Amino acid sequence: MDPLVYILDFIVLVGIFSIFSLSLNIEFGFAGLANFGKVAFVLIGAYTYTLLSNINVPFFLCLIAGAIASAIIGFFVSLPTLKLREDYLAIVVLAFGEILKIIVKSEGWIAGGVWGTPVYPAISIAGSSTRLDMAINIALVYVCLFLSFLLLQLLTNSPYGRVIRAIREDEVAAEALGKNRAKYRAQVFALGSAIAGLGGGLFAQYLQFIDPYMFAPMLTFTIWIMVLLGGPANNWGALLGAGMVQLFDRGANIAKDYVTLPIDPGNLQYIIYGVLIILVLLYRPQGLLKESQVKTKAGESIFNGRDFAKNKGD
Amino acid sequence: MEEILLKIKGISKHFGGVYAVNGISLDITSGKIWGLVGPNGSGKSTLFNTVLGIHQADEGNIYFKDRCITNLVPHQIFDLGLVYAFQVPRLFQTLNVLDNMLVAGREHKGDKLLFSLFFRKSWQKKEIELAEKAMEILRLLKLDHLALSPAGELSGGQSKLLELGKGLMASPTLLLLDEPAAGVNPNLGRSMFERIEDLCQTGLSFFIIEHRLELLFDFAHWVYVMDKGKIVLEGKPPEVAEDPSFYHVYLGDE
Amino acid sequence: MVNWAQVFVNSGITGSLYLIGAVGLTLTYGLSKFPNFAHAEFITLGAFFGYIVAEPLGLGLPPSLIVAFLVTGLVGLLCYRVIFQPLSKKGATLIHLMVASIALGLVLRYSIGSIWGWEPLYFKTSWPSFDIGIIRITGLWIWLIFVAITLSIIMHLILVHTRIGKAIRATKSNPELALASGININRVILVTWFIGAGLAAVAGIFRAANTQIWPMTGWDIILPIFAVAILGGIGNFYGSIVAAFIIGLAENLGVVALMTLGLSTSYRIAIAFIILILTLIIRPEGLAMLFRRS
Repeated sequence: MDPLVYILDFIVLVGIFSIFSLSLNIEFGFAGLANFGKVAFVLIGAYTYTLLSNINVPFFLCLIAGAIASAIIGFFVSLPTLKLREDYLAIVVLAFGEILKIIVKSEGWIAGGVWGTPVYPAISIAGSSTRLDMAINIALVYVCLFLSFLLLQLLTNSPYGRVIRAIREDEVAAEALGKNRAKYRAQVFALGSAIAGLGGGLFAQYLQFIDPYMFAPMLTFTIWIMVLLGGPANNWGALLGAGMVQLFDRGANIAKDYVTLPIDPGNLQYIIYGVLIILVLLYRPQGLLKESQVKTKAGESIFNGRDFAKNKGD
Repeated sequence: MEEILLKIKGISKHFGGVYAVNGISLDITSGKIWGLVGPNGSGKSTLFNTVLGIHQADEGNIYFKDRCITNLVPHQIFDLGLVYAFQVPRLFQTLNVLDNMLVAGREHKGDKLLFSLFFRKSWQKKEIELAEKAMEILRLLKLDHLALSPAGELSGGQSKLLELGKGLMASPTLLLLDEPAAGVNPNLGRSMFERIEDLCQTGLSFFIIEHRLELLFDFAHWVYVMDKGKIVLEGKPPEVAEDPSFYHVYLGDE
Repeated sequence: MVNWAQVFVNSGITGSLYLIGAVGLTLTYGLSKFPNFAHAEFITLGAFFGYIVAEPLGLGLPPSLIVAFLVTGLVGLLCYRVIFQPLSKKGATLIHLMVASIALGLVLRYSIGSIWGWEPLYFKTSWPSFDIGIIRITGLWIWLIFVAITLSIIMHLILVHTRIGKAIRATKSNPELALASGININRVILVTWFIGAGLAAVAGIFRAANTQIWPMTGWDIILPIFAVAILGGIGNFYGSIVAAFIIGLAENLGVVALMTLGLSTSYRIAIAFIILILTLIIRPEGLAMLFRRS
């Protein structure tokens, strides 16, 4: 394989997984929603993209439609659980992911059932090289990543971001201060699902093929590791986590060609992931990067302006 | 002119057959400080929690400004101007003190999803106003130097003060305080009550559970005494203090 | 023509399996206050331990049930002791505990995969089948129903009459009070994890003997088991008996309906999901209120 293509491929996947981990971070990191079915919303995005692009809908509309479909379904799936404790949402979306996988497996008319279906690349230039295709993909993925990141940075550094963190910390207290926790949670879950759906569309068009087996629960937990490792409630942490886990993935893939292990490397990788999560939870639950503080212009104005000076004078 | 703010009519709340609150009726009018006292386990906090919609009442009705609020949920009750400061402070631990205060801000467009994202100009002025108001309250409570520390790092007394601060920040019509002075140093407790009296002059009303009777009785206009889920005595603080049954309630049969 | 008598018998068999699988989950869920997703892997692990005793060692079903119960129970106890107890002590949130249980599940599942491989294995024992009128039932199913009934009676006796049973109930309903009244909560929780994982193993053996055994054996039935725990009311043993049979019945009727409609029977799992969602919408506390005593 062309080493440059290998590196470019890595860059694309880091971008796509960064989108996934950002989407989990807004749900779990900021709002305290345990989405154990992230893969379901990636799947919805991927399948919506595929079905629409196969009837020649322009790629950007396919991406948007995937995000919207994910958001709507996410909203309805989360709805019965939003007034209950966090564990109900976790169980319901985990189960939903499994059901969804069964549906796309059993229904052959949806994108080929178990056999999967090819996906046409979003932008194809006649006679282009693999390198050029990669470059186009990088541009597309990183534009989407940049927009998602910007959106989430704005959101988390606003009064809204403060409210969802407050609900995460103590839902009863937030409710007693006039915050409708079910409404906020539904919004965040829909938004997170939309971003995951966007990522799913990009994933499908980059791999140019989808089948139900690509959307195993393992994908969900890979995304969880990224967020836990990088630092929940920190958007930079989500990016860092995605990069690190992808790097580890690549490293493991290269290493297994040179090192003979008593354990099958495919199994070993997930055993290591599991142990890693437990160790992180035990010894560094805040992840590598600490939670970012809410930054709105107001807070700064208080402390850069006259008020702070006056305080010092007291 | 005094108006009836809160009207409680025959409220009961039981947990698994045990009545924590048993048929309580009372009125709270505006511009006054109202006290609620009684031994531990007499149902005071349960009554507050039921009024605030955190517990659902089993019997009876609650009216706030002539509107029935019995079946409303806490955030709707907050919107009407009835606010609660919890007995055990419920702070947003990882948020800093200033942010804890700002969460309580009312009618903030930035709390809405679309406004927070796409119309940032529309709430920036309000955000600064709220932050200034928050700092003013924090200064009053002598917490201003901690504004940027995480709430989880506050001491017990400071947490109580911040819980009160959140309540004040919400610009309530009626503020329900559950043992505001518990765990706060005695001098600060008194100045807190003095400040409550000042705020009362401006039209804000208070309904306060407090075990430090010497403080409450100095400031309250009217006191209800609760025992075993019922109101057993009410009146002006000096009258209540002199009533023999009051001591019976507190000391039991000892 | 549908053989309704057979459908009802099958429902009882499915219900028995889900009951055995769900008891451990619901008890640890109620006591430790988080859903242990690794319960699926306790089921799988038990199935493999049972398989080893029953097949390569050739000792048959009863010894395999006992050995798998004890060994998997011990694994469950160790997992709680090494992972969940320290996490709880460090003040881990509900979400952290759930994520840790998923992570534990990964470690166990892929360890099983690397030891025994991912190719399905089958119990070779062939069970005699009996025809009673129009109903057909195999020896394995009779064992399953027998174990489920015995388990229900033993659990009932334990919960009502023994000190540890009373302690389990007291700890579930009010940990502070239980602590104050001199109950060693820690020991109660450890015992519950032992019993819970052990019972998961028993369910795993039956599931494996009836179908196949591979690292996903537990995961294949974890959804209906969660549905049983929630419909029955979390931590409520008596509720879970009723819930197990409701879900067993719904699934078997659902399979008939799916076949009549010409849909894939792999949607069978969706039936438990629908019941789960309906429970959450209508009655999140499950059937627990019907069984206040427990």
